[in-house]
Amino acid sequence: MKNLIFIFRSAIDDFSRNKLRTFLTSLGILIGVFAVVVLIALGLGLKKYISDQFEAMGKNSLFLVPGRVLSGGSFTGGVSSIAGRFDDRDLQTLKKINNVIGVAPLAFKSTKIKGLLKEDFGDIMFSSETFSDIMGLEVDRGRFFDKSDVSKKAKVVVVGSKIAEDYYGSDEGAIGKKITIDDVKFTIIGVTKSKGGGGMGGFDYDSYLFAPYTTGFIFNPDKKFFRLSVKVENENYVSQVKEDIKKEFLKRHKDEEFSIVEPTELMSAITSIFSVLNLILVAIAAISLLVGGIGIMNIMYVTVSDRIKEIGIRRAIGARKSDILSQFLAEAVLLSSIGGILGLGFAYLSVLAVHNLFPAYIDLTSVVLALGISSAIGISFGVFPARKAANLEPVEAIRYE
Amino acid sequence: MIKLVNVSKEYIIDSEYTFYALKKASLEIKEKEFVSIMGPSGSGKSTLMHIVGLLDKPTTGKVYVDNKEISRISDDDLSKLRNEFVGFVFQQFNLINKLTVLENVMLPSIYCRKELDFDPNDRAESILNDFGLSEKRNSYPNKLSGGQQQRVAITRALMMKPKLILADEPTGNLDSKTGHEIMMLLEKLNKEEKITVVLVTHEKDIAAYAKRIINIKDGEII
Repeated sequence: MKNLIFIFRSAIDDFSRNKLRTFLTSLGILIGVFAVVVLIALGLGLKKYISDQFEAMGKNSLFLVPGRVLSGGSFTGGVSSIAGRFDDRDLQTLKKINNVIGVAPLAFKSTKIKGLLKEDFGDIMFSSETFSDIMGLEVDRGRFFDKSDVSKKAKVVVVGSKIAEDYYGSDEGAIGKKITIDDVKFTIIGVTKSKGGGGMGGFDYDSYLFAPYTTGFIFNPDKKFFRLSVKVENENYVSQVKEDIKKEFLKRHKDEEFSIVEPTELMSAITSIFSVLNLILVAIAAISLLVGGIGIMNIMYVTVSDRIKEIGIRRAIGARKSDILSQFLAEAVLLSSIGGILGLGFAYLSVLAVHNLFPAYIDLTSVVLALGISSAIGISFGVFPARKAANLEPVEAIRYE
Repeated sequence: MIKLVNVSKEYIIDSEYTFYALKKASLEIKEKEFVSIMGPSGSGKSTLMHIVGLLDKPTTGKVYVDNKEISRISDDDLSKLRNEFVGFVFQQFNLINKLTVLENVMLPSIYCRKELDFDPNDRAESILNDFGLSEKRNSYPNKLSGGQQQRVAITRALMMKPKLILADEPTGNLDSKTGHEIMMLLEKLNKEEKITVVLVTHEKDIAAYAKRIINIKDGEII
């Protein structure tokens, strides 16, 4: 133990005498660990971002979209509506399937919206009362439209928090007010809780308006929907319901005219693509760790040659081969660990810096991995120079000038 | 205490020429002796000392330490003997310049695996004090004079309470006054501490401190 403390202390002494050399030698490992940890953190962040987007939908939902959705492909297939769209009959078919407790059709309208403070183009989603449930939408103030609103074709609308803010200045200011959508007056009955998000795989719900799909037929006279969402009683029935829907729909549609998507399926497909991509990036970054290791090996060889006499002296006064070996190994491990710790530190700072924009994070595994790999590099690249030092003949080493 | 029987050290230069640094040398050094090995440079006296000091192994012949043949013992056991049994003093002092005087003196205790019957720090300080080096204990060796450095080296050699001190031209890098001071110190250690001293030198007046002189020439003891 005293030996080990001594070894590390003298290694640190040595480094403080050669600060620049120490820093430059660890730089390779620093950059390698930094790159690997940051890329893993970004990968984790991406995964979290995607799963957050999907999580709100719940595990007991199914989506029907027109056309083929390639496995792991784009989720926007419905929006383009190249293939045909679903109609009211499809909606009624779904309602009759066992264990389906709710169906939310979806139609879009992009049109002029006029509020108290602003007049601009906006997007309205027309759906059923189940929509808020399936999409995990929460209402902050007021209420979401209900079954009777749908059956009465009520001209009510629920607005996203951003819309309330932009058109009425605040949530409170929007409730109960009239809003004009394409020259039709609606009453605002609720404001949704801000969800953030938007972009990949999801909508920025904060900037949408939501109204009953029956009311939406004003703007959608042919009563078509580009997406049908289904809520199943519980997640165990999901695959059965999926089969039943398929069977029923094949009576009216061709196989390639519609797709039934499970959010979890889609999510795992997207996640796995990004995971592979991330893994490739991490592997490329890991090459720099290898280069860093070679740098350490090089410097350790130089150090051994510089200190042949010292090695001879130590051997003469009783150091064993293993003492010399551990001394040089300790220096190599310390060098690479310094790089590893600094790299981890810089990675942490970088992740902290982007945290507001992107949910990247460093997990315990990457910390353990970074420190483990950097000391492993120290050992594996330090062992050759250290063995060279240990195997020097004492008498030749001490005569060395 | 140490016995060499027909010890040779050969260096094969090429297929036709082999250099004999030592040729069938036999000698015995008894406990508490003060012996000088004397010879001109290149005579093989340093090789002889390295073999006596267990730093080097002979090509042929046998070396006994306390009646135990050591040619077959492991490198670790040799290191242990060098650590506990022998203390070296070299011509170039061979202190480690990046360690302080005190650290240099204590270095052998770091490499000792057995339980010590003394506190290394106390012992180092007390010997340094005896040698008038107390104030220099936190200095670095290259800031000291040659005589001071050699006294530090002797302190280091004494650290592990060795039975044998091997001094290889200990006065070679010192002026004659300092050289004699160092010799008087070694003589004192032999007389008062009963430590066996083996001295290698080419200077007659230095060799004369010893009670017995072994002459060596061209690798042979004469």
